[in-house]
Amino acid sequence: MIVWSRARILVSSIGIILLWWLGSHTIFNPKLVPPPIVVAISFWKMIATGEIWVHIGVSLRRVLIGYLLGIVTAVPIGVAMGRSKIVENLLGPPLQFMRNITPLAIIPFAVNAFTVGEASKYFIIWYGSVITIILNTATGVSLTPQIRIRAAQCLGASPRDIFFRIVMPSAWPFILTGLRVALGFCFMGVVAAEMVAAENGIGFLIMQSRNMLLPEQMFIGIFMLGLVGLITDRLFHVSIRRLMRRYMIMIEQD
Amino acid sequence: MDREKALYISISIAIILGTWWLTSGTLFHEAILPSPPQVAERFWEMIITAELLFHLGISLKRILIGGVLGCSLGFIIGTSMGGIKLMRDILEPPFHFFRNIPPVALVPLAITVLGIGETSKVSVIVYITIISMTLNCAAGMMSTPQIRIRAALCLGASPRDIFFRIVLPSAWPYILTGLRVAVGYSFMAVVAAEMIAADKGIGFLIMQSILIIHPREMVIGLVMLGGIGLLGDRIFLMAINRLMRRYMITMKEA
Amino acid sequence: MWRLLRADRVSKDFQKAEGGIVEVLREVSFQVERGSLFTLLGPTGCGKSTILNIVAGFEQSTSGQILYDDTPITTPGKDRAVIFQDVSNALFPWLNARENVEFGLKIAGLDRADRSQRSEHYLRLVGLSEDHGKFPFELSGGMKQRVQIARALANDPDVLLADEPFAALDAITKKHIQVEFRRIWQETAKTILYITHDIMEALLLGTHLAVMTAGPRAGIKKIFKLDLKEPRSHANPDFVEIYSRVEALIDEEVRRMREQ
Repeated sequence: MIVWSRARILVSSIGIILLWWLGSHTIFNPKLVPPPIVVAISFWKMIATGEIWVHIGVSLRRVLIGYLLGIVTAVPIGVAMGRSKIVENLLGPPLQFMRNITPLAIIPFAVNAFTVGEASKYFIIWYGSVITIILNTATGVSLTPQIRIRAAQCLGASPRDIFFRIVMPSAWPFILTGLRVALGFCFMGVVAAEMVAAENGIGFLIMQSRNMLLPEQMFIGIFMLGLVGLITDRLFHVSIRRLMRRYMIMIEQD
Repeated sequence: MDREKALYISISIAIILGTWWLTSGTLFHEAILPSPPQVAERFWEMIITAELLFHLGISLKRILIGGVLGCSLGFIIGTSMGGIKLMRDILEPPFHFFRNIPPVALVPLAITVLGIGETSKVSVIVYITIISMTLNCAAGMMSTPQIRIRAALCLGASPRDIFFRIVLPSAWPYILTGLRVAVGYSFMAVVAAEMIAADKGIGFLIMQSILIIHPREMVIGLVMLGGIGLLGDRIFLMAINRLMRRYMITMKEA
Repeated sequence: MWRLLRADRVSKDFQKAEGGIVEVLREVSFQVERGSLFTLLGPTGCGKSTILNIVAGFEQSTSGQILYDDTPITTPGKDRAVIFQDVSNALFPWLNARENVEFGLKIAGLDRADRSQRSEHYLRLVGLSEDHGKFPFELSGGMKQRVQIARALANDPDVLLADEPFAALDAITKKHIQVEFRRIWQETAKTILYITHDIMEALLLGTHLAVMTAGPRAGIKKIFKLDLKEPRSHANPDFVEIYSRVEALIDEEVRRMREQ
């Protein structure tokens, strides 16, 4: 007996495929919106030739590098911002301003400055992650409950102890949340960058399908993007749960 | 804003301007990063000729139409999901899946199906706002404390009463937050849509510089994006805090 | 008919998360007379709130039933109003005090004039006439509870079910509001089922006191009819005597709980 909570995913998927099939045969031009079968066949071919894995791999590689760069640069800055009012006052306003500038808008500058090589992609992905991680880290660090710090002081903790044993652990949940959100922005950045200035990757795949009049490819690319995003987000969610068990904090799935 | 904060903002701006000025022409070629005076000159030109207003207006119009449509639909779907379990069960999986697909990835599809006109751009905005708004509203609807529902039952409330008089008002903070988030996403989506295939708008302004054609316009576009985005967000925040006073919730910036 | 509310061998089992069943209540029986203030006293975790939830209709008993005027209870209703302990979540934060009190009346379809009249009366009864325009976040814990009481009373229920309503208040506020509560009960002549873990409170307020055994499989240990002369305080030797007896019973239960 299939449990409803599992079955409903199946039900809604079938529902969507049905709607898709209907749309492809009635409202939309099948040359523009191919029916599910055509896409499935094309998908199978791409898996067989391994083509799809190459593109996914390239995109993931770019995200990974840009993301790690982002973490390494952003966390220290965020910590500094959380600890020091001066840093917060200096960095806060520009960051709040930049927050509204999506990584997509940085693409022209990145491409111009770094040419169409890998560096420009890393820059864009890095940009996508830094602001979020900085702000979340800063919030986490600054929200360390003062009572907790006082308790530690009463127990003989030095400022160094307090930072590493009280402040950072207290900030940890916030940092993780920031990391999770930032990852989403990274994917957004890499797809956009690949659509505009690349020769491989999921974004390129989606864009290329227009030029080569292969609309099935577009659907495959979009679907894989969603899948990869979903899987990485789930992985993140699961590892957060595991790491946060001792905090007994349930990071809400948003 | 107190004087200390104003001082720090001035210092930040000064440092940023200074760094910008120094790197332009030296680290970065002028065609990639024009100097502040060059940008200012073109900025002034664009204001006088109303060219800037034109592009801003186009983008804001798209955001407005797409945003209002998407948020309204998202609100209806999300709140209904709160009331009808079946809807919730069936719709939740696809929404969570599509949440991972950034609007950029769907721009080529939108163009293929809906052409290069306004419809495709607005539809991308509608897409992201519906998803975001639906998920936030649904979460809000599910957040009603059980005790509150029980209190209402004791006062003679029918299921209909409970939905409209208890669950919906309790969800109000989430709905407003959802709106604020959706506005942010709208800005992102409009840039995405205008980047790929447009001949006007802020995103276009930024994007057209990708082959080092109009670098000054790019900077102006970026500044406008950040500024207007920030302004919109702050206005929203103020409005929300005013409306939420009785809930005793104050939304902070981050 | 003097009997209003009757618990008839009520048992309640809960499913444990890891599987298996825990018997929270076992064959609880008692009778509440019309117009009495019936207190249920027991250590925390003995299942008193579960009884209240069943009487209120939020939960179903596994066996046995609650009879209200000889009809079994299955769903919540206007006739049995609950005063919750978690008043911050029970009050509606987007409505001010007066609007909260009028909530049940609005649903029932009363027009504005009637509603105003009733809410004014009950707010005066609980001593909050001046604060009718304030929102819950502007009220202290004690004031919020009084709004909740007024809101419940305005709907004219037959029975009030109070779930440790004052447990979260500080001692001084608690003392005052207990006295107030007694006065309100005397003025409105309502039937009240009152859950508490505080011996003093039970003896201060009640016409009857039922001591519960500790869980699991909690039941009624002993029921006292409290015919105490005023004042109900340490100055009264009868009061002190019954206090010791109740305390001894409670201690017995706590000891039993510890040994388990």
